[in-house]
Amino acid sequence: MNDTPTVFLIDDDQAVRDAVGLLLQTGGLAVETFANATGFLEAGVARRPGCLVLDVRMPGISGLDLQKKLRTQGHRIPVIFMTGHGDVPMAIRAMKAGAFDFIEKPFQGQTLLARVHEALALDARQRCRQARRDEVMARMALLSPREREVLERVTDGQYNKVIAADLGISLSTVEIHRKRVMEKLQAESLSDLIRILALLNDEELS
Amino acid sequence: MASLKNASTRNPAQFSPAATSNLDLVDRSSGFRLQRLRHYSFYPATVSLLYVFGGLCWLLAVNPILANWLYGTPSSPLSDQLPNILAIIASGGLFYWLLRTHDKTAHRTKRAQDIRLVEFIEQITDVAFVKDRQGRYALFNSAGARLAGRPAIECVNQDDSALFPAEVAHKLMEDDRRVIAGGTLLSCKDTFTIRGDTRVFLSTKWPYRDADGNIIGVIGIARDITEQKQIEERLRRARDDLDTRVRERTAELLTINRTLERQIAARVQAEIALRESEERFRQMAEHIREVFWVFGIEEERLLYVSPAYEEVWGQPIAGLQERPLEWIEAVHPDDRPRVQAAHLAKRKLGHLDEEYRIVRPDGTIRWIWDRGFPVHDETGYVYRIAGLAEDITVRKLAEDQLRRQQVELARMSRLSLAVELASNLAHELNQPLAAIVAYTQACLALLRQPQTDPRELTGTLDEVVNQGLRAGGIIRHLRELVQKHPATQTTLDLNALIRAVIHYAELELRQSGAVLKLELADSLPTVLADDIQIQLVILYLLRNAIEAMNETAKRSRKLTVRTSSPDPETALVTVCDTGPGFGADTAERLFQPFFTTKPSGIGLGLSVSRSIVESQGGQLWATPNPDGGASFHLALPVYLNSRAPLSRP
Repeated sequence: MNDTPTVFLIDDDQAVRDAVGLLLQTGGLAVETFANATGFLEAGVARRPGCLVLDVRMPGISGLDLQKKLRTQGHRIPVIFMTGHGDVPMAIRAMKAGAFDFIEKPFQGQTLLARVHEALALDARQRCRQARRDEVMARMALLSPREREVLERVTDGQYNKVIAADLGISLSTVEIHRKRVMEKLQAESLSDLIRILALLNDEELS
Repeated sequence: MASLKNASTRNPAQFSPAATSNLDLVDRSSGFRLQRLRHYSFYPATVSLLYVFGGLCWLLAVNPILANWLYGTPSSPLSDQLPNILAIIASGGLFYWLLRTHDKTAHRTKRAQDIRLVEFIEQITDVAFVKDRQGRYALFNSAGARLAGRPAIECVNQDDSALFPAEVAHKLMEDDRRVIAGGTLLSCKDTFTIRGDTRVFLSTKWPYRDADGNIIGVIGIARDITEQKQIEERLRRARDDLDTRVRERTAELLTINRTLERQIAARVQAEIALRESEERFRQMAEHIREVFWVFGIEEERLLYVSPAYEEVWGQPIAGLQERPLEWIEAVHPDDRPRVQAAHLAKRKLGHLDEEYRIVRPDGTIRWIWDRGFPVHDETGYVYRIAGLAEDITVRKLAEDQLRRQQVELARMSRLSLAVELASNLAHELNQPLAAIVAYTQACLALLRQPQTDPRELTGTLDEVVNQGLRAGGIIRHLRELVQKHPATQTTLDLNALIRAVIHYAELELRQSGAVLKLELADSLPTVLADDIQIQLVILYLLRNAIEAMNETAKRSRKLTVRTSSPDPETALVTVCDTGPGFGADTAERLFQPFFTTKPSGIGLGLSVSRSIVESQGGQLWATPNPDGGASFHLALPVYLNSRAPLSRP
């Protein structure tokens, strides 16, 4: 069950929680509901695949606060906000803070379901990329410091001769290091190597 | 002066014996003077002998030779010449006697003169002396001798070093040397201490010359000016003393004079001030728009009425003279009994504070604010009443207008509060609506599934109904809010109401980070008031408190809402914040319209809240907290028919 994408629904209003939960379940989704943000955080489910649907206005930790908290803890779970009428400024803040979307109450069930599916898809993509990134990170960890130095210079487009002169080692040694780097990172060509590293950098940027 | 006279009378008596004993001194002491006299005494004998010798020569030698040469007669024998010789000798003797007599007379005269001189010198009280070139005293009078402390005779031929102390002698001899060397008169003032006695002398010395002008000594005179000096000193001191006293006295007089001048100036100023004060009073009394009046209690009539009366009452003051109660006749018939009663009461109380209308001769109505204050005499007895009657028609009209505006503002701001609350209610409304939509769509989705048993959906549909009812309740709430008609009074459980209202303020509360503390009384009696309006006021008070606390440190923000029942007829809600609070002087101004301390506030909230509360028969006031911050108190009348708190559906 833990790997099944789940919709985590947080709303302080019992009726809304029940109704929306039922709606999502009938849409064929796994749903877990929480009465407030604290309950959600305490359940420790934030790292599981899925998405978050929550009310902006809630007693205790507000929706925005929860989103901020999750981001600082490194969770990238997509967040869909449910807002009341006229909460545009709050919606803008939510979007700026990296919300996936916001949806105004009362809403069409189909709209919510569509948003939720999109969010789940995004989460899956993110997780996939994260997994690959983790793998690359693991391979990178295998490199010796000297190999890292060589790698940096290779990706900078330096010639082996220059690298050898730079590091004060022989050309053949550079070539050996380079070969080991390719092996360890499982790259078949230089362009492959660049792509692998770009994945890392891309993730870091986003 | 007495001592001076004594000194002058005593001195001659002392000197007279000394003078006589000094007479023989002249012979002995004045050795060189006698020598000079002896020079004269050789003269008669010499002249007489030369005469005899010449005569004899002529007779015995020249005459025979001449006679022989001229007449040729031989010289006669000496015997023939004997008579002639005798005659010459005799005439020579006679000549000597004559000269001798003359010389002796001159000598005696001189001696007498000398004696007189010595006597004179002796008699004078000043020291007088004659010294030779070696400084030895040839003459020293008794005044000098007394100074030297020995008889005058012993002083002769002694120099100063033998007679006087070393430093005195040195000075004296030095002076002598200067006189002899310079050949001129020397006059100086010296202070000498001789035998423990300090005296001041004015000394004058000059060279003593012989007939040829050679300096053979020094003559001097020294006057003891000690007493004179002392007298001078005393005189000087007396003069100085007198000077000082005159100066002091002058200064005193100056001070007194200045004080007097000041007092006079002050008095003049006081008089001017009094005149100005009277003038100011007169100007004020005659120019102020208010009618200034003075009522004499003994006289039982108005003693003074300022000219403004004519303007305000529209009647001449002269009329008031004839009919002192004319002013009261002008009072509006509706107000007249009240004014008359107050007029009578003021004689006893001394105070008056009435508002009334007057009808002017032209038929216009003016509002008057009449105030009177007691005037006490020296014994504290109220003998007059001074007062001001002010035309407040314009103000009255303005007040009416303001009151109308306030009512309108209250309604408007109640509306604006309602709009604000409506936004909260909209959110509330969205909740059941969202639930209804979601439930219904879930039901629809389920119903589309062939395996679904419709009966399973009843629970869900019940929820839909509940949520619909909930939304309807909120709508009713909303409608009530914006209704303009008078509030409907219902029994309210204030504790429940507060819990409901806090929900609306939750967002602000959270954003400010303030800690909310509810201290709700367990058995609070229900009150009779308009639900929505009281909610509005409490919500406003909560928001006001939160906004106030936003100005203070985040850590210490604490909002306390307390309910209590201070007496069986009152229920009290207190909203306590830890904001900046307010000063005692602003306590009442807080509730005035347009008074605000918030940068963006318009200052109506508290004013409107108070009018709302008062329209419900309650009270709203504020007190500063002892430890900072403010407390707002909302008191509402208890619904007496019910003791137990009502629970609201």
